[in-house]
Amino acid sequence: MPSSPESEDAATGGEKESEEFSIRPAALRTSSLNFPRSLLVHLLMLAGMLFLFAGLGAASNGMTLSKQPRDPMSIPRWLYLATGAGVIGASALLASVVTDREYIHGVHTWSGPELSVDHWWRPLVWLGRGVGVIALALAVYLGFTGPQLPTASFTILVTFVVVRAGLPMVTYLGGNLWPALNPWRTLLMWLPTGFIEYPRRFHRWPAVGGLLLLVWIEVILPVSALPRVLASMIVIYTVLTLAGGMLFGPEAWFKNADPLAVLFDFFGSIAPVQRRTDGLTITLPGSIPPDRDVFTNTSDVAFVVFLIWELTYSGFITTETGAGTIEALVGMTDVGVLGLQARAIVVYTGLLIAGFAVFFGAYWSASLLSRRYTGTYVTARQIAFRFAGPLLAIAAGYHLAHYVELVVSLSPALLMVASAPLSPPANPLTLAPPGWFDGLNIAFVLVGHVVGIWAAHATAFEVFASRLVAIRSQYPFIAVMIGYTVLSLWILSLPGATPPFLL
Amino acid sequence: MTLDGIAVPETETPAGRCEYCDRPFPTAERLTLHKGLEHADELDASEQEAFEAARAEEETQLRDFRLNAIGAIIVLYFGLLFLYAIVT
Repeated sequence: MPSSPESEDAATGGEKESEEFSIRPAALRTSSLNFPRSLLVHLLMLAGMLFLFAGLGAASNGMTLSKQPRDPMSIPRWLYLATGAGVIGASALLASVVTDREYIHGVHTWSGPELSVDHWWRPLVWLGRGVGVIALALAVYLGFTGPQLPTASFTILVTFVVVRAGLPMVTYLGGNLWPALNPWRTLLMWLPTGFIEYPRRFHRWPAVGGLLLLVWIEVILPVSALPRVLASMIVIYTVLTLAGGMLFGPEAWFKNADPLAVLFDFFGSIAPVQRRTDGLTITLPGSIPPDRDVFTNTSDVAFVVFLIWELTYSGFITTETGAGTIEALVGMTDVGVLGLQARAIVVYTGLLIAGFAVFFGAYWSASLLSRRYTGTYVTARQIAFRFAGPLLAIAAGYHLAHYVELVVSLSPALLMVASAPLSPPANPLTLAPPGWFDGLNIAFVLVGHVVGIWAAHATAFEVFASRLVAIRSQYPFIAVMIGYTVLSLWILSLPGATPPFLL
Repeated sequence: MTLDGIAVPETETPAGRCEYCDRPFPTAERLTLHKGLEHADELDASEQEAFEAARAEEETQLRDFRLNAIGAIIVLYFGLLFLYAIVT
């Protein structure tokens, strides 16, 4: 055909022309950008900002589980909070200066070469399954028969040091191991499953409710003090999970209704090590792989916001100010109807739910404001879904700040108990983390937010065609992030206390 | 991008719709930018020209914005610096 060379020429000509502009989606996908150097620039910027904070962090005090006396802060608290807000604001401003679409897309979706895992994947998965089931069986058995001392109890150490604290860290800093470890998923392999189809209209709301209930139980019941109580809860959780998994099938149940599986799934979506079809690959922490649609419903957003709120809440009630607030509220509700203990439970529950509503409301209003401010036709719901990914980085930062001391101080006890579960040590070893851990916690909160800011920036550029709109759309979210940061930095600066009225 | 999650508020009429994916836009400029980014292969010469013009205009606005942003960073930095100098 005579016309074909011409059209081919025209096609290549067009290709060339737009490559000069370097904004074509095709050019975006195949861009081979000089990644390590650009990453280095970012890390240097980040290091600079953290350096601003280093002196401050060392001087300020922090929230710990141990109730040691703390150094008084050497600068006024408002200045410390203003500096924290300034770090988030400055990183947002710095990010907004970066407006090269190709560069942003390249950094956000960068991934390393895939590593084939076919040879050793199956044995590893089965090892994980075995470990998970044995740990569950031991946790229940030793909870009832073992020592009723928290630091010598296999049940308590495995539940709190491993599942609550350590494994989420492994997940968002490494990769998600839970699908293999999850003992209930393994047990369901040998049970008849899938009698009813999971009602789709429930979305992930059961998981949101489940996580709320788990946190409530953690606060109200002495699960971290009495192994027997914790073991009973594990038995109830096992029965519920197996029943749900049998009824609706494990896939639907663990995807939508099981709070632990959803938690690990969400943290796993921002993990640097990702499982692809052909093997394992490395991505940048905080960036969700483009092929994964994590947030498709309001319940997904609610779950992530609850992750952030839950850590803020349990931080708050273990401070003097938090304990004072609870005592004041319990005193105010003395109308002669309920006893002290019951009123305390009502206050704790009310605060948990009300605070969640405030956090969620703040995030949702940011989406509404973002829509109104930019005049875009992208719905507020859609904006809320797209900007929820960055919240995961923030939640991860909070989690690390909240639990790293617990893991460090109790890991020797965990090792001793786990190496000989049936003959627990009479006097398990615990470590007292050094004082600079307080500064480290502040850094974790800030790094989580800075990663979140960058992820939000990259997301905005994916959603909006106009780059000015993309920048403006982030303002309300940056305001909310500054609010979250200031609140958690404030909590980190308060002296610790034991939550009142609880067993 | 599909039309999921796109809705025109009742009080508004879109400035235009994308000929390729029917997505509505509140301003002609955003529509032009959208077509250039999402449908680069399908544009004809005049649309390509319009896109390049819109992009040049956007670049000018971005330059102004960047100057403001850098100004804000400087104000923030020195503001905090002086606060520290005064308070401590």
